[in-house]
Amino acid sequence: MITQMQVKGLMFDPYNNAYIVILRDDEQSEMLPIWVGKSEASSISLALENVAPPRPMTHDFMKSYLDAFDAKVISVVITDLNENTYYSKIHLTYADSEYTVDSRPSDAIALALRSHAPIFASESVIRKQTSEELDQWLENLKPEDFGKLDS
Amino acid sequence: MEMSESQEKESLIQLTVDRVVEDSNTDTRIIVLTRSDGAAEHFMVWVGASEGEAIKRAVDAAITPRPMSHDLVKSFGEHFGIKTERVVLTDVKGSTYYATVFLENKGVGRTIDARPSDAIALALRCQAPIYVTQDVWRRRSGQNLDAWLSKLETKEV
Repeated sequence: MITQMQVKGLMFDPYNNAYIVILRDDEQSEMLPIWVGKSEASSISLALENVAPPRPMTHDFMKSYLDAFDAKVISVVITDLNENTYYSKIHLTYADSEYTVDSRPSDAIALALRSHAPIFASESVIRKQTSEELDQWLENLKPEDFGKLDS
Repeated sequence: MEMSESQEKESLIQLTVDRVVEDSNTDTRIIVLTRSDGAAEHFMVWVGASEGEAIKRAVDAAITPRPMSHDLVKSFGEHFGIKTERVVLTDVKGSTYYATVFLENKGVGRTIDARPSDAIALALRCQAPIYVTQDVWRRRSGQNLDAWLSKLETKEV
């Protein structure tokens, strides 16, 4: 079973000096936080805000690479959580064949947003989230934490 | 005037990534390239910290537990049979360098516009040659940067 997720926004995690991408399902009943580095967060933020930077950023370059040969991102799936490392698969079509490529979720999400491709999470990943941790994060969430990523 | 491919290649200078230097004052990285023909002058490109680290990992042949962004691009290429033929630093406007990545698949060539950092990070992972045009080589940042660079590196030690 997989659940479609939407990227709700980005938060800064001061304890780990990292950023968290917040994914939620359409019913708003599940939440999946994904810790990412600063440059990955900034790339996801640019895509969320629909900002076209003056020069192509790494994921824009990645998209150009795929576009050059008409390869298309069909969907991405966050598949596994193992010792705080997330795994994801990017599903693509190229020359009438389907391909699945292993990636980090940060790359998968940054690419999916630029390709208007849906993002899914497997049931096991959502279940593995410890609820205490989530409650704590949710309590601390303020509306202004979402959306804009302040440098 | 159209240049033939051979003429175009003759006017290119091949570069080798020599090292990545950390400029801790500005949290940027300096990619130091040398001429593959052994001539002494350097070519330097300033890039962001994460872009610099992506190049440094390739120079060091570092292995990461998960594929990083340029490893993913390489992986797409391996899945689809796309070859990175070469990258060329084609233009400089102000302090911004422009690069073109030449790709090939089943006899079909494509070029894509890129920042030098992405082009170099991919080239190193695909063992593709890196070139600069004569024009961009002539217009590179001042040669006295060599002295400044050695000062920066001495300071780090």
